[in-house]
Amino acid sequence: MKVQRWTPQSGVFIAALGAMVLVLAVGPTWFSAGVTDRLSALFVYVILGAMWNALAGYGGLVSVGQQAFFGLGAYAAIRLSHADVPVYLAVALAGLAVGVVSLAIGEVMLRLRGGEFAVGMWVVAELAHLLVNLDPLVQGETGTSLIALNAIAAEARRAYTYWLSLAAMVALLAVLFALLRGRLGTAIQSIRDDERAASSLGVNVLATKRIVFVLAATGCAMAGALWLASAITFQPKAYFSVQWTAYMIFMTLVGGIGTFEGPILGAILFFLVETFFGGRGVWYLVGLGAAALAFSLFLPRGIFGALEQRFALRLLPLGFRVVERTKP
Amino acid sequence: MSEPHHPPMIPRRGALIGAGLLLASGRRARAAGAAIKIGFVSPRTGPLASFGETDGFIVDLARKALAGGLEVGGTTYTVELLDRDTQSDPARAGQLAKSLINDDGVDLVLATSTPEVVNPVSDAAEAAGVPALSTVMPWEAWYFGRGAKPGAPSPFKWTYHFSFGVAEFAGAYISQWSSTVATNKKVGVMYPNDADGNAIRAHLAPALEKAGFSIVDPGPYEDGTNDYSAQIATFKKNRCEIFNTFPIPPDFATFWRQAAQQGFTKIVKIAQTAKTGLFPSSIEALGSIGHNISSGCYWHRDFPYKSPLTGLDGHALADGYEAASGRQWTQQLGASLALIDAGIAALRASGNPKDKAAVAKALSTLQTTTSLGKLDFTKGPVPNVCATPIIGTQWVKGSGKFKLDYVITENSGDRNVPVSAKLLPYS
Repeated sequence: MKVQRWTPQSGVFIAALGAMVLVLAVGPTWFSAGVTDRLSALFVYVILGAMWNALAGYGGLVSVGQQAFFGLGAYAAIRLSHADVPVYLAVALAGLAVGVVSLAIGEVMLRLRGGEFAVGMWVVAELAHLLVNLDPLVQGETGTSLIALNAIAAEARRAYTYWLSLAAMVALLAVLFALLRGRLGTAIQSIRDDERAASSLGVNVLATKRIVFVLAATGCAMAGALWLASAITFQPKAYFSVQWTAYMIFMTLVGGIGTFEGPILGAILFFLVETFFGGRGVWYLVGLGAAALAFSLFLPRGIFGALEQRFALRLLPLGFRVVERTKP
Repeated sequence: MSEPHHPPMIPRRGALIGAGLLLASGRRARAAGAAIKIGFVSPRTGPLASFGETDGFIVDLARKALAGGLEVGGTTYTVELLDRDTQSDPARAGQLAKSLINDDGVDLVLATSTPEVVNPVSDAAEAAGVPALSTVMPWEAWYFGRGAKPGAPSPFKWTYHFSFGVAEFAGAYISQWSSTVATNKKVGVMYPNDADGNAIRAHLAPALEKAGFSIVDPGPYEDGTNDYSAQIATFKKNRCEIFNTFPIPPDFATFWRQAAQQGFTKIVKIAQTAKTGLFPSSIEALGSIGHNISSGCYWHRDFPYKSPLTGLDGHALADGYEAASGRQWTQQLGASLALIDAGIAALRASGNPKDKAAVAKALSTLQTTTSLGKLDFTKGPVPNVCATPIIGTQWVKGSGKFKLDYVITENSGDRNVPVSAKLLPYS
């Protein structure tokens, strides 16, 4: 018997993943404009899915107000750019700035549990929306635009936004992966499974939750700022819309909640569904909702969860497993 | 009206690449042929669907008119109109515009109806360096709402907009409220904390006060509020005989029902709404308390102008729509057609419709006549913008086959538009 983490399968997968990131990194030099733009959106979706999964799938913190951070991230980018910070630096710093703000929000919100936390986060989102509306720069729902971007030529801007999105996605996933493989991963999952038991075993519940909460807030804020960098228009209603959280939930539930790879798969699926069926209007949204519902009823661990179980898939191993040593 | 089938947002190829098959594509080659592509973006479904209701009809008319191609500078171009539905979602509006620009390679983007459609589309076009023309949202929210600063040079090189602004509302209201209905000149206002509400509060209210009206403003409210008792009490206490509001339509329905229950509507002699009450459906939904509500229109079937593209005048356009759809005409018909009229005029004036800089330059100095009347981009009020009039109107009990008639009660914005009725008191 031996305890195993890495398998040859996961080694090959990591290598393939690294190669893919390298290919993606040189993408803007030969992708068409449309593909570059759409891939930037996909990277944002992956961030959103992974961050919601970190909260709900690993931390047991179901938030229906993650759009608060998405909106605040975009708003922070607008504010920083208005304060004459170079526009791409503003976009990059916005997520970190909101991460700091989320420390304070977390102090209050993490004292709530279960449904209270979920509803509380929605309240936070509404509150953040109202407060942003009061800023004269934003002019209520009129909003404003990140026009500092117009100083950069269209092709260069498309590439910068793409690279920044790719870098943010890779960095956030890497941080999440490292955290979940370490002490924090075990601690946070024990809290998810039974908070009181975890606490009695010596897990610092609040400190552990705080790390995951701030990471998810920072990630969602980065996503918001990146979305702004490609959309340019900032209308508060559009960024503080609950639809963003609905998308995160869809990606996580369909891809596989509580698995590292699931939300990434979910984001790709969501991206494809949006691409092909987004034009169908109401029925598209009904379909998204029905799919999320069906998955949580019949395939509670999502597509990746099911695959993982059936084929003993270990692509990005977070846990350990015991294997029988084969006799020579 | 049946929703036309829209092609998927991006070609299949793009999506497959997105899924990871990254090796199949090279840079897309643009065939430079004698074909022009024009994108037309509007809200056909979702909360703003009443704006887009007539757009399918208008796009079909334009397609027929352009079936023989468009001759510019001796070359005949085929014209393809690509219409897209934003589903009233600003995020989707921006993505559709980008997809039209990147994947379809449009030469001109047209967008209409509300900041939720127009601003994201204009920003996407400005960012990509593709000429765009838009209409039907107050120009202040389009120009200043996208980051332009008063007094500073225009930050926009590619995007142009023709629409009404605060000055046009002020002119129409002052004329309308000084006409046949005598009041105490006290105006109760409900201006929300949103795009239009704030612009109106900052600029319209002072203009009205200068004209001798006293404004009773209980302060900004958030869209979606569902209890208006405090505001209604303030209006009653001050005996506001004129009422003015710029709400989103569901909020007005809530407010006006509460105002009726709490006895405010009995005091009101002129109920002047903007943003809501543009279309018959929103007034019909109010039932009898919707009769005699005053409104302002950006187009009316009595407008005496012919669309140069289709050759239709206001009556022919409205009657054509009613015959084709069985539904009552709306003021969006003329505006959407004017948008296409003006877009085609700019392509003609450019000398080379495939040259984006030439088209943008043509837009910046465009002077043309459309179903809305004369447009002149050389006169301001700010660069990139041409202001168009607001005409005072009223919803009265219908005399024909529809429940309500929409009559013109003043024409200070454009004297060529015939006044067809005297303003009636609300109560």
